[in-house]
This record gives sequence, structure tokens and C-alpha cells, in this order.
Amino acid sequence: MQISKYMKKDVVAIRADAAISDAAQVFVRQHVGMLPVIDKDGRPIGVVTLQDMLTLELPDFVNFVADVDFVHDFGAVETTRPSAAALARSIKKLMKPPFTVPQDCGLLRAYALMIQHSLHDLLIVSADGKLVGIASRVDVGRAILASWSKVEKK
Amino acid sequence: MTLAAILSTLLFIAALVIIFTEKMHRSITAIAAAALMIALGRILGFYSEGAAIEAIDFPTLGLLLGMMMLVAMLEPTGFFQYLAVRAAQASRGKPVRLFILLGGITTVVSMFLDNVTTVVLIAPVTILICEILGIAALPYLLAEALLSNTGGVATLVGDPPNVLIGSAANLSFGDFLTHSLPIVAFAWVAALLLMLYLFRRELARRPKNIRALMRMTPADALNEPENARRLLIVLGAAVIFFLLDPVLHVDPYFVAVAAAGAAMVWIRPDIDQMLKKIEWSVLIFFGALFIMVGGLEAAGVWDLVVELAQGASSIPPVYFGVGLIWIVAILSAVVDNVPVTIALIPIIQGLGRGGMDIGPLWWALAFGAGFGGNGTIIGSTANIIVASLSERTRHPITARLWLRRGLPVMLTTCLIASILFAVFYPWL
Repeated sequence: MQISKYMKKDVVAIRADAAISDAAQVFVRQHVGMLPVIDKDGRPIGVVTLQDMLTLELPDFVNFVADVDFVHDFGAVETTRPSAAALARSIKKLMKPPFTVPQDCGLLRAYALMIQHSLHDLLIVSADGKLVGIASRVDVGRAILASWSKVEKK
Repeated sequence: MTLAAILSTLLFIAALVIIFTEKMHRSITAIAAAALMIALGRILGFYSEGAAIEAIDFPTLGLLLGMMMLVAMLEPTGFFQYLAVRAAQASRGKPVRLFILLGGITTVVSMFLDNVTTVVLIAPVTILICEILGIAALPYLLAEALLSNTGGVATLVGDPPNVLIGSAANLSFGDFLTHSLPIVAFAWVAALLLMLYLFRRELARRPKNIRALMRMTPADALNEPENARRLLIVLGAAVIFFLLDPVLHVDPYFVAVAAAGAAMVWIRPDIDQMLKKIEWSVLIFFGALFIMVGGLEAAGVWDLVVELAQGASSIPPVYFGVGLIWIVAILSAVVDNVPVTIALIPIIQGLGRGGMDIGPLWWALAFGAGFGGNGTIIGSTANIIVASLSERTRHPITARLWLRRGLPVMLTTCLIASILFAVFYPWL
């Protein structure tokens, strides 16, 4: 079972020259959790997740205090917004290195890689490195479970 | 000067240079240098493995280890978080009051526990409180480091140099309370007032959201109330035993280790988890420094230094003490105060053998080592911790900022210590 059969082919991606605010608009419109960042030839050079975007908004103390249950109201940080300057910065400042697999990657291998590297989405590239698809854990998981119906009873 | 004295001095200086330039972790440098010192001693016949073991001041290591174990158990209870939230609510979000209360709590805690631990535990909650209030955390973080360095000088267990001095000079917990605490109290108030002035602009900003602060539930910040209660009882009992030292003659290191043992039996912590929180690298650093300094002593280096220092004995002893405060303070501002203290202890002891009244000099050493650490961002471990914590926030503390705020505090506290040292010299 090759991943190319189960991946989504209409990938929502963003160009490397986009600003963080452009990426935010794509997230708002497209209902995705992760955006591949591609160069002008369509090769993935990075990924930016919804979570990465939200670190711009998250207060500093969340990194230091393990258990914030006693804080019932985040007060002043609830209404802070990233500055216009922060939003105008290039998406390259926020993106992380992409994790890609070839089109003939097996489903189980794909799933194991996602678990081990804590990825929610996997980028699939063609032989010449171009982004051709994206598969989420749900896509991969459903494909694996669907194959169980073909297990023969003895 | 003998060959042994020259080579051992060169080795010691080389080790200090590597430690101060931070080319290698200080504990690695110290272990390697200690091993080289023993090897040198064996080749030239002035030092041996047995003598090296004897040079280690085990009471100091025991006291540090005992206190570290108690803190390691107290940390997960959330007690410090609870204290900070309580203090913040008591201030009702008024910046000056919050500044004094958080600084005060940090000071009191750091008098009984290690400064570094105190700052590590209070600083994160401080960032939380300030962010929720919508004010800059920077003045509060700086004040916590500076005031814990200052307050730590007041007690035997407040600061590693004090543990070293107490062990070398046979000073009890009570001696520190009667000799050091009063002078530190003056220096502390001066440091606080000076910082309120230096940060007057930041502290004049009104918090945006005081209601959110008052809605916090401190009880939920205390994760393990029962364990916190037990540990505070054990810590309290340990302090009582520290104070009863003149009557019972129980050594502080025994009290600390016994208290840690009792606490472990009472709360049954996960021992592996707890031992991971002990700062083994600090203990190893101390042990290796003791071995190095023992080598210098065996090579006769200290005798030479003492001879030199005695040349200065024509100076009135009061000026000698005041001079010592400033020399130690300047050294402690640019390098770690632990090696400074360990290196100076044998020299003071040598001066004592030469007939000088060294009683007051121990206090001069304690004031210099403690207050000097405030001067620069690398002056004390607490400073480094606060600075590196702030680097992970949106408003990092820079070395320049520390000089502008910390150096005046160092100069003021050293000045006050010098004046009080001179005035109360006959009683020290």
C-alpha cells in the first residue's frame, strides 16, 4: 500500500516570500493545521504549523510554569496582540525544516515516522523533490484500518 | 620559592583562568586540575592521595548536600509558587508593594535555602504575575536576584561562601545571626530603596489587569499541601537545631543531613527523581577545589602569601578588613565567589597563625563575597539563572542593564558594610 494512493493531491501551500500575516490568512480560510512553504519550483523548504503561529501570542510564563491551573484569568495577556512589525516578518522566521517521504512510501512506514517525529501531517514529494501531496494521520490511519476489512476469516 | 610551590601555583592559576573563561564546564576543569595537582604532588613528593582526601572539607559538602535534598523535596510541592501568589495578592497589584513583597519573600527564603534554588523557584511565578498584570517583569526579576544575594549573607546556610567560612572559622548559625544579620539588614534596606529609585519609572506604570491577579487561587498553586507542611516542620526543626548549636554542639552538616533523612522517611519521595535535582556538579566542583587548595597548602604556597600579607600588618586591622571587603567584592563581581572564598580561607588562617586577630576578617570575607556578586550579570549563579530565564522571554536582561542597575547596588551595599564593619569592629 503506497502512500500516494491515499494522500490529498490539492495541497494548500504558501510561497517562501510570504509574510507571517499572509500565512495567518491562509490558516483562517483553509481550515488546515499545517502549511508547507515552497520555493518557486514547488519544492518544500519548510513547514509552519498552527501551533508555531500561535507561539507569537502565547505568554512567556507558559514555558516556565508547568501547571497553570491556579490561574483562572490570563488578564493582560488575554488582550495582547502581536505587533504589526512581528506580523510583517517573513514566514521563513517561523518555519521549521520539512519532513518528506517519496510517493512509494508504505503506509505503515509513513505512520511510524509520524509517531516517532510527532508529525500530524506528512509531505509527499516526487522523484525531483516537488511537493505532490500531503497526508494527515487521519488519512494514513483510515487507509490502514480500511485494509482490515479484507482480512480473511478462517 | 621551591619548584613545588611554583608549579602548583601555575597549575592553580591555569585552572582558574579556564574556569573564568568558561572554555570548559567548571566542574570538569576542577576535577582535571585536582588530579594533576595530586600527580604533581606525587612526582615532587609534596602531596598524596591520602592528603588530598584529608583536604576535602566534608562538613561543607554535607551541609550543602543536606540542604539540597530538602529543597529537592520541597520544590515539587509548589510551596514557592503559593508564597509568590499570596504575596502578589497581598500587594493588590500595586507595583511598589509587589516589588517589596516579592523581594522580601525571596530574601527570607534565600536566608534558609540556597539563593539559586530560591530564584529558580520564584522567578517563573514572577514572570507569570507580571504578564497577567500587564507590566514588565524585568525590575522584579533583577530585584529578586540582587536581594537574594544580599539576604543570603545573613545566615550560615544562606550562601555557599558562608557555609565555607562557617566551617573554616568554626562559626555557628547563631554567630551569623548576631554578627552578619544586623549589618545585612541595613545593606538590604539600602539596596531596596536604591532599586525603588533606579526603577522608579517602571514602577510608576499602572497594571492593566489587577482583577485577574485577585482571581488566582493560591491553594491550587500548592500542589502537595501535606508534603509541604511536613517539609516545613522538618526545616523548622533543623533551624532550631542550628540555633541550639552552642548548647548541644551538634554540627550543622549533621543537622542538615539528618533533617533530609527524616524528611525522606516521612514523605517517601521517588528517590531517583529527587536525587536528579541535587546539583552534583556543584558538590564535585567544591570537592575538587578543596583538593587543589590543599595541594597549594602542602606545597608551601600559602606560607609565602601569608608572609607577603604580613608585610601589610602595619596597616591598622580595621582598614585591613575594609580593604578585604572591597578586594573580595571586586573579585566576586568578575568571577564565581566560591573559588575566591576557598582560596582566601587558608590565607586568613595563615594570618591568624601569624598572630593577627582574624575574627573580624571572616565577616569581611562574607560581606565581600556576598555583596560583590551583585555587580555584574556573571557575579553570582543566581544572576546567571535570572538572566538566562529572561532570555527566553520577550524582554531579556542584558549585561549592560545589569551593570546599570546591579553595580550601584553592589557599591552601596559594600559601602554600608564597610562603614558598619569599621564602626562595630570591636564587637566583630
